[in-house]
Amino acid sequence: MAKIELRGVAKRWGEVTAVEPTGLTIGDGEFVAILGPSGCGKSTTLFMLAGIYTPSDGDILFDGQRVNDVEARDRNVGIVFQSYALYPNMTVRDNILFPLRFKNVDKAAAARRAEDAARLVQVHELMDRRPGQLSGGQQQRVALARALIKEPQLLLLDEPLSNLDASLRLTMRSEIRALQRKLGVTTLLVTHDQIEATTMADRVICMSRGRIEQVGTADDLYHRPNSIFVAGFIGSPPINLLSCGISAGTMEVGQAKLRATGGEGACVLGVRPESVILGDGPFRGRVGDLEPHGRETIYHLETPLGPVRALEAGAKSRFRVGDELSFALSSTLVFDARSTRRIDGAGAQTPA
Amino acid sequence: MSAVSTSPDWSAVAARARVRNRVTTGFLYVVLVLGSLPIVVPYLWLVTVAVSGRMGATTIVLWRTLAVLMPALVVWSVVRMAVVDLRRQRALEFALGAVTLVVLAAVTGPHLHTDNFRFLWNSNIADTLKGAGGVGKRYPSVWIAFGNSLMLAGIQMLLVVTSSTLAGYYLSRFDFRGRGGYLKGLLILQAFPAMSLIVPIFLIMYWVNLIDSLAGVVLVVAALELPFAIFVMKGFFDAVPWDIEMSAMTDGASRRQAFFLVVLPQVKVGMIAVAVFTFLRGWEEYVFVRTLIFGNSNWTMSLYLFWMQDDMMGTDYAMVSAMGLFYIVPSIVLYTLCQKYLTQMSVGGIKG
Repeated sequence: MAKIELRGVAKRWGEVTAVEPTGLTIGDGEFVAILGPSGCGKSTTLFMLAGIYTPSDGDILFDGQRVNDVEARDRNVGIVFQSYALYPNMTVRDNILFPLRFKNVDKAAAARRAEDAARLVQVHELMDRRPGQLSGGQQQRVALARALIKEPQLLLLDEPLSNLDASLRLTMRSEIRALQRKLGVTTLLVTHDQIEATTMADRVICMSRGRIEQVGTADDLYHRPNSIFVAGFIGSPPINLLSCGISAGTMEVGQAKLRATGGEGACVLGVRPESVILGDGPFRGRVGDLEPHGRETIYHLETPLGPVRALEAGAKSRFRVGDELSFALSSTLVFDARSTRRIDGAGAQTPA
Repeated sequence: MSAVSTSPDWSAVAARARVRNRVTTGFLYVVLVLGSLPIVVPYLWLVTVAVSGRMGATTIVLWRTLAVLMPALVVWSVVRMAVVDLRRQRALEFALGAVTLVVLAAVTGPHLHTDNFRFLWNSNIADTLKGAGGVGKRYPSVWIAFGNSLMLAGIQMLLVVTSSTLAGYYLSRFDFRGRGGYLKGLLILQAFPAMSLIVPIFLIMYWVNLIDSLAGVVLVVAALELPFAIFVMKGFFDAVPWDIEMSAMTDGASRRQAFFLVVLPQVKVGMIAVAVFTFLRGWEEYVFVRTLIFGNSNWTMSLYLFWMQDDMMGTDYAMVSAMGLFYIVPSIVLYTLCQKYLTQMSVGGIKG
C-alpha cells in the first residue's frame, strides 16, 4: 500500500503528446478513477505508473521516492488489463501463481496464497482449467486474483469491466469495490464509463486530450463541472448545452430572453435534463418526441430556447408527442463560450 | 404479380431440386477424378513398379491396378449419387472396397515381391546389379546417404527455426531504423530464384573452404530459407497480444522470461509449421548438394538417387522406384503427423 504522486508527468511519442504535464496525488488506500473518452491519455498514465512506459517529463513517486527508473517488474504493481491478458498456455492455478515465480516464496506457501486469492474472487473451483475454458466474468476474476496475489502496493485496473455483459458488470462493480475496501489497497481505475467511475471510486479524475479537466467526487463533477467538457461528458442523458449571449443581466437564448445572474458576452447555458420541470412554469414548449424508459421518460422538446431534452421520473409518461406544455428550469449552469470554463455563481432560470 | 396466388406443387419442385443436386454432385466427382489422375498415376507407377518390377519398369501391375481401380471409382461415384440412405451407402461402399481389394490381390498378387528393396539390407548393392560389376565401391550404403539427408535437413531446420523465431519476435515487437526496408527486403529475397546464385555461392564456399562438406550446404540452404521463415514467424508474433507480455513484466518477469514463459508458447504452432517446412525443404534439397558435394560419403538421398539412375549401365528402374519410395516415406510420415499445424500456418501468416 502506498501513496502515489505524479509531479509534472508527461508522455510524448515523437510529435504527439499523449499526456500533458500532470500533477496528481493518490492517497494511501484510496480508490481513484480516471475517466475520459478513448485517446485522452488515461491508459498512458496507467502504463506509466506500472512502469511499462517511462515518462518523457516529470517524476513518479511511490511513498515519496522517485520510481521513474524502476522497472515494471520491480514496482510491485498489480494490473488487470481490459483483455485480462491471462496466459493461455497455463492453467488458472499457474496463472495466479505466476507473479510468485519471481519472488522467493516456498512452494507450500505459494500454493496456500494462490488458494486464498482464488477463494477471495471465487474461482477456487476452476483452478485446473485453462483460460480458454472460462467465461468472461471468470477470466476477469482470475486476472484480479493474479494481480492481488503479490500483495501489490498499487492496483491498476484498465477498463476491467468493458468486456463483460451488462448484468455481470453490475455485480463485478460492487465486488471489486468491496474487495478494495477489504484489502485497503491503493487502486487506480481507468474507464470511459462514467457510471463505473462514479460508483466505484472515492475520487474521479476527468481527463480529456492529455489534460486533467477536473478532480473531484462524483457530486462535484455532476453539479459543479469546471468546464463544458466535463458537463457534457458526465450525465446520461447528457446535459442540454445552448449557446447564448449575455449583456447587462439579460441572456438571449434562441428566441427567448432570460434574466441572468452573472456572466457577460458569448456564453453557453447548461441545463441538466432533470432540471427541466414539466407541467407548470414560465416557458412554453411542444413535445417533439419521447423515449419511455420504464421508470422514467425522456422528452425531446421544441422550445423558444431551442431543442431541450427533459427527463421526468415516473412509470407512466404524462405527455404525448405533439402536446403543448409549460415548464420551469430549477437550476442552470453558465459557461464562458471562449474559455469553456464555468462561471461561478452564474445562472438563468427565469424569463426577463 | 397477379392477385390470384396458387400454391405451387411443392413435391414436384423438391424433386427437381433433388435431381439437380445429384447431377451437380456427379459432375463434380467426374471433374475431381479426372483432375487428380495426372497426380495420382505417377505415384501409382512408382509404388507398383517398386513392388513388382524386375530389372526395369514392368508396368503390367500398374495397368492391372488401374483396370481394377477405375471401374471401382465409377461404381463408387454412382453409389454416392444414387443411394440416399446413409447407412446403405456406407454398407455398399464397404462391400465395394472389399471386392476391389480381393480382385486387386488376385490379379496383382503373383507379381509382387520385395526384391527391389534389397538396397536396404545389402550394403554393397553395386555387386547385386547385373552388368555393373565394374562400378564396385562407388556406391556407399544407402543408410549413409539417408543419415546425411537427415543431418542436412535436421541441422538446417534447427538453424532456421531458432533464427527465424528470434528475428520474427524482434521485427514484430521492436521499432528500429530501417525496419520497413528490412521487411520489404525479406519479401524481395524470397522472390529471387536461388538458382541464379549458384556460381557466387560456389565461389564463396570455395573461399571459405566449405566445398564438399555438408556444413556448407546446411548454411546455404538455411540462409535461403530464412527470409520466408522470418516473415511467417513475424506474422505469428504479431498475433500475440502485447497485453500478455506487459502483464508478465508487471508480474515480475524480465523481458527474456516473458518471452520464454508467455510469448513463445503462443507461437508454438508457427514454430512447428516452419520446422516441418524447412525440414522437408532440406530433405528434398538437390541443386546445392549437386553443386557443392562430390565425395560419395557426403551424398544425400537426392544425390544417391540421381547417381543411381544416371550413372549405371542399364538403369534398374525397378530399384530406382523402390529407392524413390524409400525417399518419400519420411516426408509422408512428417506431413501426416504435423498436418494440423501446417494448415494453421496460413492463418498466422495472413496477419503479417
